[in-house]
Amino acid sequence: MTSIHKRGFYSLLLLISASSCFFGCQSAAFKQITSRVLAETGYVNSSQVDSVLGAGGKLIKAQESLTPEQEYYLGRAVSAQLFARFSPVSSTELIQYVNRVGAIVAGVSELPETFGGYHFIVVDSPEVNAMSAPGGFVFISTGFLKEIPDEDGLAAVLAHEVAHVVKRHGANAISNSNLFSAIADVTSAGVSIAKSNTSSSVDLAPITSLFEDSVTGVVDKLLTKGFDRSQEYEADLYAAELLQRAGYDPKALVRVLEILEKRTNADGGGWYATHPSPGNRVDELEDDFAMPNPPLPLSAVRAARFSAIVR
Amino acid sequence: MQYIRCRAVLLKTLVAFVFLPYGVAVSEQRWVQVRESSVRVKPVFYSAAVSGVRYGDLISVISEDNGWAQVQVKGKAGFLPLAAVTTTRVVLSGKGAAKILADESDVVLAGKGFSKEIEEQYRRSAVAARFDLVDKVERQCRVTSREVEVFVGAGGLQG
Repeated sequence: MTSIHKRGFYSLLLLISASSCFFGCQSAAFKQITSRVLAETGYVNSSQVDSVLGAGGKLIKAQESLTPEQEYYLGRAVSAQLFARFSPVSSTELIQYVNRVGAIVAGVSELPETFGGYHFIVVDSPEVNAMSAPGGFVFISTGFLKEIPDEDGLAAVLAHEVAHVVKRHGANAISNSNLFSAIADVTSAGVSIAKSNTSSSVDLAPITSLFEDSVTGVVDKLLTKGFDRSQEYEADLYAAELLQRAGYDPKALVRVLEILEKRTNADGGGWYATHPSPGNRVDELEDDFAMPNPPLPLSAVRAARFSAIVR
Repeated sequence: MQYIRCRAVLLKTLVAFVFLPYGVAVSEQRWVQVRESSVRVKPVFYSAAVSGVRYGDLISVISEDNGWAQVQVKGKAGFLPLAAVTTTRVVLSGKGAAKILADESDVVLAGKGFSKEIEEQYRRSAVAARFDLVDKVERQCRVTSREVEVFVGAGGLQG
């Protein structure tokens, strides 16, 4: 899609959204305007518009969010781009260990299952970094693993990334305006209808272009911009809850943040570039979460298996 | 007659006792919205599976509580995470999707939008993207429920 066409399509969708607010979604005026706009985009023909919109409610549904399946394919592509920079480790023992810890903190969340399942991926990089892509692709670097003192600390970092997945911070990074999901859903509906009709030919280029832009947007957010400060605090708070539910020590998150606060950040990149100051995060977390008192005893089994596999 | 009434009351009491711990009974149809999942014996993510379900399968939700749905599927009862099911009808491709779309306004079209088809298109231009590694880690990162259960138990965790 050329930039002019893209701008035009965004504008048209914006017009639809604005119209829905102004006229009310069920109104005849709204349907009339929407029908004309959608038909003019070429994504669906005028006879298909009613099917796409249903009783005017289709666009409202479209504005909710990506489906789990759509998040999964977005997450796969984001991960494929991240693998252009980072290589996954090959140690089966380490991969299995990290995935068992990750499965526990994800399993006690409100999103214990994603469309394609959670994947906790260790990448070979000296940079201290952890990030998560939509759909449950969670990355942690070997450089970060070296800074983590024990299994509870590993669970804390993974829980923080799981929190971003559950709260859909990555998927929301594409656009906070809901416009994106409207585009995705309306377009997907149009494509489907067109495919069902033998007379129609389907142009996948527009949605592929949207997909490409979305992948770029999420990768940029993960590697360069980072999530909003409020999203990071939200992820910390939720991570502490997950740790507590799973039986891990929630204070482990504080300990990891304190280690990172003390660590010299020579290059200023990775996790440091995309997260708020660890010190501020500790303050926020301790204000909002009741840490166990007295602290939970350290599990000898967890300490031993962490040392054996990660160290 | 009185015997039949007595039996009905007893049956209702029994049902209430069974369902009470899992919240109010709702009994409604929902669709599986993840690629595959397991109906589990208990509402715990690593509990043993009684049956498998796949994307688009229709299930009957008996009750829901604390993020889990008590379900009936393929003649078997058990538990599924609420996140794995949706009240929105999931229609797989090739099942008369166009007609269903025309008749119903609230439908999720499986395999459309950001989908495998779009990924294949994207891969043609994104030559640096390493989908081979994505496929590899998806295989490597699998852990079984039994492995997690043992891991949880040994580590003194709750799960």
